[in-house]
Amino acid sequence: MLLRSLVSIALVVALVAVPSGTRADDPPKSVDFERDVKPIFAKHCYSCHGPEKQKSSLRLDQKAGALAGGDSGKVIVPGKPAESHLLKLVASDDPETRMPPKGARLTPKQIATLQQWIEQGAKWPDDESVKVNPADWWSFKPLKKPAVPAIQNPKHEIRNDIDRFVIAKASDKGLSQSPEADRRTLIRRLYFDLIGLPPFPEEVEAFVKDTAAKAYEKLVDKLLASPHHGERWARHWLDVVHFGETHGYDKDKPRPNAWPYRDYVIRAFNSDKPYGRFISEQVAGDVLYPGTVDGIEALGFLAAGPWDFIGHAELPESKIDGKVARHLDRDDFVANTISTFMGLTVHCAQCHNHKFDPITQHDYYSLQAVFAALDRTDTRYDTDPKIATQRARYDGQKKVATAKLATLIAEARKKAPELIAIEKQLVDAAKPGNTPKPPEFGYHSAISPKQDVPKWVQVDLGESVKLESIVLKPCHDEFNNIGAGFGFPVRFKIEVSDDAEFKTDVIVLADETAKDFTNPGMTPYRAKVGGKSARYIRVTATKLAPRQNDFIFALAELEALDADGKNLAAKKNVTALDSIEAPVRWRKSNLTDGLFAPGARLTATELAKLREKRDSLMKSALGEKGVAELATAESELRVAEMELAKLPAQRSVYIGAIHTGSGNFIGTGSTGGKPRPIHILTRGDVTRPGKEVAPGAIVAIPGITGRFELPPNHTEGDHRAALAKWLIDPNNPLTWRVMANRVWQYHFGRAIVDTPNDFGKMGQLPTHPELLDYLASELREHQSLKKLHKLIVMSATYRQVSTTHDANAKIDVDNRYLWRQNRRKLEAEAVRDSILFVAGKLDLTAGGPSFQDFVIEKPEHSPHYQYHLHDPDDVKSHRRAIYRFVVRSKQQPFMAALDCADPSLAVEKRNETLTPQQALALLNNKLSVAMAKHFALRVEKLAADDAGRVRAAFRLALGRDPTAKERDALTAYAKEYGLANMCRVILNLNEFVFVD
Amino acid sequence: MSTSRRDFLFHSGGGLGGIALASLLGADKLLADAPRKRADGGLHHKPKAKRIVQLFMAGGASHVDLFDFKPELVKRHGQEANFGEHVEAFQNGLGPWLKPVWEFKTYGNCGKQLSEVVAPLGDVIDEIAFIHNMIGKTGVHSQGTLLQTTGFNRPGFPGMGCWVSYGLGSANENLPTFVVLPDHRGLASNGTKNWDSAFLPAQHQGTAIYPGTKTPIEDLFPDERAKFVTRDADKAGIDLLTELNKQHANARPGDERLEARIKSYELAAKMQLAAPEALDISKETKETLKLYGLDHGKTSFDKEINPLEETDYFSRKCLVARRLLERGVRFVQVWSGNDNGFPRRNWDSHEDVKRDHGPLAYGMARGASALIADLKRLGLLEDTIVLWTTEFGRMPSSQGGKGRDHNPYCFTNWLCGGGIKRGISHGPSDDFGYKPADRKYPTEVYDVHATILHLLGIDHTKLSVRHNGIDRRLTDVHGHVIEEVLA
Repeated sequence: MLLRSLVSIALVVALVAVPSGTRADDPPKSVDFERDVKPIFAKHCYSCHGPEKQKSSLRLDQKAGALAGGDSGKVIVPGKPAESHLLKLVASDDPETRMPPKGARLTPKQIATLQQWIEQGAKWPDDESVKVNPADWWSFKPLKKPAVPAIQNPKHEIRNDIDRFVIAKASDKGLSQSPEADRRTLIRRLYFDLIGLPPFPEEVEAFVKDTAAKAYEKLVDKLLASPHHGERWARHWLDVVHFGETHGYDKDKPRPNAWPYRDYVIRAFNSDKPYGRFISEQVAGDVLYPGTVDGIEALGFLAAGPWDFIGHAELPESKIDGKVARHLDRDDFVANTISTFMGLTVHCAQCHNHKFDPITQHDYYSLQAVFAALDRTDTRYDTDPKIATQRARYDGQKKVATAKLATLIAEARKKAPELIAIEKQLVDAAKPGNTPKPPEFGYHSAISPKQDVPKWVQVDLGESVKLESIVLKPCHDEFNNIGAGFGFPVRFKIEVSDDAEFKTDVIVLADETAKDFTNPGMTPYRAKVGGKSARYIRVTATKLAPRQNDFIFALAELEALDADGKNLAAKKNVTALDSIEAPVRWRKSNLTDGLFAPGARLTATELAKLREKRDSLMKSALGEKGVAELATAESELRVAEMELAKLPAQRSVYIGAIHTGSGNFIGTGSTGGKPRPIHILTRGDVTRPGKEVAPGAIVAIPGITGRFELPPNHTEGDHRAALAKWLIDPNNPLTWRVMANRVWQYHFGRAIVDTPNDFGKMGQLPTHPELLDYLASELREHQSLKKLHKLIVMSATYRQVSTTHDANAKIDVDNRYLWRQNRRKLEAEAVRDSILFVAGKLDLTAGGPSFQDFVIEKPEHSPHYQYHLHDPDDVKSHRRAIYRFVVRSKQQPFMAALDCADPSLAVEKRNETLTPQQALALLNNKLSVAMAKHFALRVEKLAADDAGRVRAAFRLALGRDPTAKERDALTAYAKEYGLANMCRVILNLNEFVFVD
Repeated sequence: MSTSRRDFLFHSGGGLGGIALASLLGADKLLADAPRKRADGGLHHKPKAKRIVQLFMAGGASHVDLFDFKPELVKRHGQEANFGEHVEAFQNGLGPWLKPVWEFKTYGNCGKQLSEVVAPLGDVIDEIAFIHNMIGKTGVHSQGTLLQTTGFNRPGFPGMGCWVSYGLGSANENLPTFVVLPDHRGLASNGTKNWDSAFLPAQHQGTAIYPGTKTPIEDLFPDERAKFVTRDADKAGIDLLTELNKQHANARPGDERLEARIKSYELAAKMQLAAPEALDISKETKETLKLYGLDHGKTSFDKEINPLEETDYFSRKCLVARRLLERGVRFVQVWSGNDNGFPRRNWDSHEDVKRDHGPLAYGMARGASALIADLKRLGLLEDTIVLWTTEFGRMPSSQGGKGRDHNPYCFTNWLCGGGIKRGISHGPSDDFGYKPADRKYPTEVYDVHATILHLLGIDHTKLSVRHNGIDRRLTDVHGHVIEEVLA
């Protein structure tokens, strides 16, 4: 508030009103900042302009900030009190603008002190804020491959360079490395780490027995080549990018087409896609790799996070709340991109320059500008590149034919201007009449993914009555720009009967099921009854009307007219095979409510006459040749459209893309994807836009330029391509470090930089900076995540036991310097998959739409995700957890109890808790107990007696034989309470959920 | 981590999660940052209150029809609404001025005017401090709800109860620290995002409880399909499990998590005993049931929404809330209303305030009034805070005749109990209830949150957790303790 309406203050206050002649209040002759000025700031200003808050982006507790000023510019101009707004504000007579706004005014003496201080040059001793160059920070330094330390007389095994870095550091601290873990431990560790599943008992035994020197490496290679490797590591990635399959917020709608992005990530990890390409596809795949499936599906990254459906669908961009929703949306694009790939908290620069890192508010909004044309939306694409090529060809032909048509028509119009009026009349004829459309649209069936699913709706007239004719009135709905004839069936029949079930005495009045019926627009469809009597009238659609990527059946009104033209169906009861029931627009009763969109303005005869007139005008305007050309172009267009129709259906994927919509959620498609103008928002407030900014990135990061060099006539795609280029620039000091650090984290349970999403000043320092740079340089060089994985798991450091060691623990209790491996608690997904695995129920089918382990109630409005209604024995839900449909508004309770990632926030590192709720979930959850039963049925067959079954269960679940004590205790328990209970105990063992 | 550090975490209210958090993340920094409770139960200063119950009206309850009487609206009823400035309403629903749909009457020694639909609150009116100049950020349900529950208008932040649980820990390890009693019809906007722990450890997330249903708490008992888990098998199984887990832990010294996990099964068993007892209202006296309006003797209700049924639903939750608070639950959140669908079963009365607010408002008033009286009778009100809140208010003008559009520019909250001034109204709204009377100094959710944390002995600027590089607080970078409502 400090700098509000500076201009008006400047007019009101001539100059600082320091009372003169009050000798007792004279300021000190030479003002000392520390002694005289700082206490005034501290008492009166710090609460709003200090370390806690910086109203109007001004802080007076640090030299650099105070002299730099706030949102409206400088407030202190050394040597020039008249230009120093600070003085005007503290001296103002206007209580609305005076500072401080609350509490005691500054005394005349204090004001005079400030004035004199400024006059004398506003001397302020240098403090931290001046000395520090924000770009002078370890993670912004150029990435160079460090020399590998030489280890003299190694006392511990050295398998590769990682060990040299670790041992060098550990020796400095007086730590000694731990020995290698046994084979049984190592195979479990590798399995969970690399593929997220336990090994089969046979694999354990074979590995334990394999004495070959290369046995370990062979196992590593096998697991890295396994298709399950991508499934395991995709989950880590999806945590970071906060991937979810519903929007979140209010009316948490599902995103049925989000999964291709999940499959893309799995595929990328399995095929060891070069990391730089992996990044650039996710930011600008459509631009950089056009025509590829990966180039489209990867953009699911941008759309991964939550999205305010109501804020977009019910509010236009012109409204403040609509602006807020879209601002939040872009903020998520920016934050997701920069924190995922570069580990910086750029979103902190939304209201003011970043307080710790060299990121300006200008940088932040430049990044928003990169994404300014995008929305989150379903986009269609071909999953087969060959089909994509064909589609492009026919699209091209269609374009040429359309252009030719347009030229000819323009020519015709020029010669026969009356054509324009006729064409307009023809177009208008398809629209509903002048009177406004009632909000009650009509009856609307449930939505079907297939077109040939028959659906019916019927009216009960209450008694059998004589009928003359039946009239069907089409609907009008702008949805997907359909308008007139919305939902009118492509094939249908009208029947009457006295049997509500239409099993007997059925009279067919109209049969349009043999061939497609041209959509009638708003023209009503009439069927003659001819005086027959019936109680029930049924309309059956045998081929539904297309809607978006799906099919429906909708009618505005059904009238049953008697000989006097009286509508006997009015207000009569309506039943249907199914109905969307979304009042007031759509409900069964709307079919007989007398309300419908006004009909066409012209009769069929009038229409025919108009068409005829148009054709003859065309002929005289274009001549025989022209008309022939017109016909050729029309036929070429038809052919292209037919060929296009023949191509296999495109798939939809939910990505960040240019959206073409209707209603309030219009997107930028109608302007050809022109980016929305992005302004720097004062205090992040959408009602206070400042300067407009061009697309760009963070300018102050050394080594790379954040100002894009864009081609002339650049498009929004060029902006994203430039950002991708900037992200993967070999000189980008962060990209490679951030990813090497993430990979390390998932292998050791803790990263080298323990704040993987923050490599800035508020983040933690690396425990092993040289090692991190070594790994990052390797990654930059070979771009291969698999090579990085292999390097890490091949190291002696990784292979150490996880048991403690007193002397080491005294020095480094938290094992920051890796004198042992960390004992790892399994994540929610690994626990769940292991439970299904040992029960023999895990379905390893890869890819495709997610399974849903809930039932959706009230899907038409606010879907309720009811996990408790799901049957744990539903085999569809026995796939790996990576294929689970991830809901935002209600997390899966079992997975949430086990600390799965919350898809509403970027999870750089999961919390690990041990709570009573977690114990209850593993003991009692329907999945745990159902699987305990299957586990029991499985082990029952594996041995002849209970002791043998206990052994089999141990081998499956823990990869080892039970001790005699364990075997006896569990056998006794199984004898008394059965195998299922015994298996339930095993699934709850500490050893089952901890790897080592 | 040494034994003494572990014990400290256990007993200082970090509870089991304290150990888990510290030892699992192994981070000294985090441990140093972990809240440390004072002997008097506060975190930064002596607390006035120990626990809190939040009553949340989903959909946006109308302040001008319930608590904030505006004679000017009566006078100008039906006249064209002139706001004197451009107003953006959510559905552009700005019809003529609409007077309160119910009569207002004066109650208590404080002389507060209350709408007749919330008349039961008149019995406890002298306990309550109203705040009439609340403002939100937007008129979007999801954002309004999140702002009031988590202090942020986008998902990804812990609910207020999570923060209180994180700061003060549990007062009864056998029950969850933060309990949510959702509307039985379904979850409000954002679902469980309103009480999820986000970046705080999972034990601080709200535990949703549905009293009176077959499964009031998720997984408290074995899934009923698993007939093989008999009571004896269960008990013997957990004993055996503990035994085997101990052997396993003994072979792996120095890893407290292994012991912590054993302990978590003990606590789970205790919760199985404590939770059903806490939720069982059958032992309540006739007088108590009468106080809550639960003595109606009906087992089924009319098909249409009605005040008696709403009283039953809301009062039952209030009574359960009291039982939970009494037994050491720190934070109870009671919801009235579910998502924004049709027919309206929440407070989003765009079409007809009287029809859609009526039964909910009466049920709420009956339950809330009983809760306050009951807490007072038991001597619990002096250190329990009751907070009534909603997403935003509703416009003083009508929308489509009988309804009102969203008003994020002004609404009402009220508080009572531990440390709250009794029988006052703070921060008046303007003559129409359109915006605060003093627009320069409205009250924001940050201020309410700061005040509540203050009463619980927490300085809202100091309870923070670093997440993705930012020190996150319930109050973001805002919030002032509202001195005027402190006793």
